[in-house]
Amino acid sequence: MFERFAEVYIPTEGTNLKPLSEVPYLDNIDRVLAFLDAPTLDEFHTGMKLFDYGSVVVGFYFARFANLSPENRLEYIHRWDGAGETQRAIVGLIEKLVAVGYWQDVEAARRVGYQGPVSDEARILKLGNAPMPIAMAEEIEAP
Amino acid sequence: MTKPSPDTPPPLLVLKVQQPADMPDRGLTLDADAVVIGSGAGGAVAAYELCRAGAKVVVLEAGPYVKSQQFTERLIDALQTLYEEGGNQVNKSGDLVVLQGKCLGGSTVINAAVCFRAPDKVLEAWGEDHGLEDLSPEVMAPYFDKVEKNLRIHPNGPHEINLNGRLIMQGAKNVGIPTAPVSRNIEHCALTGHCLSGCKTDRKQSMLVTYLPWASELGATILSGTRAETFEVTNGRVTQVNAVATDANGNTKPVVVKAGLVVVAAGAVQTPLLFQKNAIGNSSGLVGHNFACHPSTAMIAVHKDDVYGWLGATITTYAGNIEDPKEGSFLLEAGFLGPMSLTTASDGGVGREYIDFIQKSNKFLAAVTLIHDHNVGRVYMENGRKRIDYDLDDRDFPSLQEAFRNAAKIYFAAGAERVFLPTTRRTMIESPDQIDSVINSLENGKHRYKLTSYHPQGTMRMGKDPKKSVVGPDGRMHDLDNVYVVDASLFPTTLLVNPQETIYAMASYLSDRMLARA
Repeated sequence: MFERFAEVYIPTEGTNLKPLSEVPYLDNIDRVLAFLDAPTLDEFHTGMKLFDYGSVVVGFYFARFANLSPENRLEYIHRWDGAGETQRAIVGLIEKLVAVGYWQDVEAARRVGYQGPVSDEARILKLGNAPMPIAMAEEIEAP
Repeated sequence: MTKPSPDTPPPLLVLKVQQPADMPDRGLTLDADAVVIGSGAGGAVAAYELCRAGAKVVVLEAGPYVKSQQFTERLIDALQTLYEEGGNQVNKSGDLVVLQGKCLGGSTVINAAVCFRAPDKVLEAWGEDHGLEDLSPEVMAPYFDKVEKNLRIHPNGPHEINLNGRLIMQGAKNVGIPTAPVSRNIEHCALTGHCLSGCKTDRKQSMLVTYLPWASELGATILSGTRAETFEVTNGRVTQVNAVATDANGNTKPVVVKAGLVVVAAGAVQTPLLFQKNAIGNSSGLVGHNFACHPSTAMIAVHKDDVYGWLGATITTYAGNIEDPKEGSFLLEAGFLGPMSLTTASDGGVGREYIDFIQKSNKFLAAVTLIHDHNVGRVYMENGRKRIDYDLDDRDFPSLQEAFRNAAKIYFAAGAERVFLPTTRRTMIESPDQIDSVINSLENGKHRYKLTSYHPQGTMRMGKDPKKSVVGPDGRMHDLDNVYVVDASLFPTTLLVNPQETIYAMASYLSDRMLARA
């Protein structure tokens, strides 16, 4: 489902962006989901099922989201973006996860000019721990 | 004071930390004069000040000790290693991300280093409305002076302000909104823009490289990965803190600390949960109540020229009236992160729209909006799950609209061609004459805006009246004779400005109150 979503959300084909197929965005999404506790993960899976199977009735596509044509997938996402609170929450979460999964790839981000990690490459010197403050004339009189 | 420079080797001060893997399997039992729970802005300062007075101090930090050389400058890595719940901590509705550090040094390790003194008007209002006359601007001024000196807090110089910051300052001047460079706790900033992932080269003067090593040098025992769980209470005094140390493999070891003084600084979410769990300190019924958080958004605009807003310091300048926070007050802070944050903070559309949006990101102006929100939230446990019950209050929505309105005015005055609002459904302003109509048409509601909180506050309200507050004016809990609270949970109202400097100063002031009573 996430693959079908990402294909229409970030259509990299024909652009200078790093192709989706070369970015391990699904693995990256899994890393994010690994931090959810069990009840939250259950809610998440319920939300994903609602989205995936919702297209059977919402918009009367009579098929799961994952099986829709790209045009219908895009249209369905727009429907959820403009729908009620729960639907906005679910589609917003999927968009966020896909974006996080894609853009955490350093090379993908560099394609739009973002430099990413820099200190090691530039060999910027570490300053280390700050020295102790001199026992400043810092004693403050009690109010 | 000796100042390090990039040309001299780092000083030899060592931060000694005992991690769970270093502890014996049977755990630890420690005796101390004081136990400090939490190692962020409040806990680290209190630990150092108590050590400086000769006290034997133990610091318990629930998060791991991550050395700065382990920072990767990739936000996703930082979220997973340095942030509470891997950066997934949200309110009950799920539409507000509440970011907090969960590591040695707490949120000071992962914040943008922005420092403001609490506005005088806020401190005066705390005196008038909550009986906190002792925290007057005059009393607090030397404490602000002290932490500013210790943490090298200074306004950004011209070389630290990128084009995004300069354009926003110029736009603010053009439309008559007060504006200036922000101050930061930083030394020789390397301008990498990775503050929120932890400062890899130790330029940010977080607790990890300042007050914690200083406390360590003065003899503090610092335990990471060690979560305070329960209290032993005798005659209204906490005599023992029971904690659990958990190593990277999930193995646990008991840690017991017996101390005459208990200082709690676990942050505005965890501190109240600790007292609720122990069912102590809550005769007012207010522990966990009055949560507020400066709900923030990211406002984006497309400039006519290349800006590359992510190059340079994370936050550079601000705009807004911060002297007298009141209804409708807002603060804009010029700053930008990479495309990942950009996409999660703004709706760039779907498909080709999105591609077009993201490919213009080098032209984006960006600022974070903050508002002076009311304390309407609550933190509690429900069926074993932490809950942060907070939704943007209808009284605060006009402040959010004002932040949007003024950011849009500033952007257009600075040469922007289009403004994107931080809505969950793509909303744009194409010209200055559309600003009011678009902003006025917005409505409050759940999942309508992309909200993030960087500043949770207020859940252990400080005040003179034990029926209306949890903690007294000297930082001591009304119900517990030897327990002090020194984090942002104390704040009776929000500050509007970033709270870290106020926490440092209050922790310093409250440490003096502890020592005066000892």
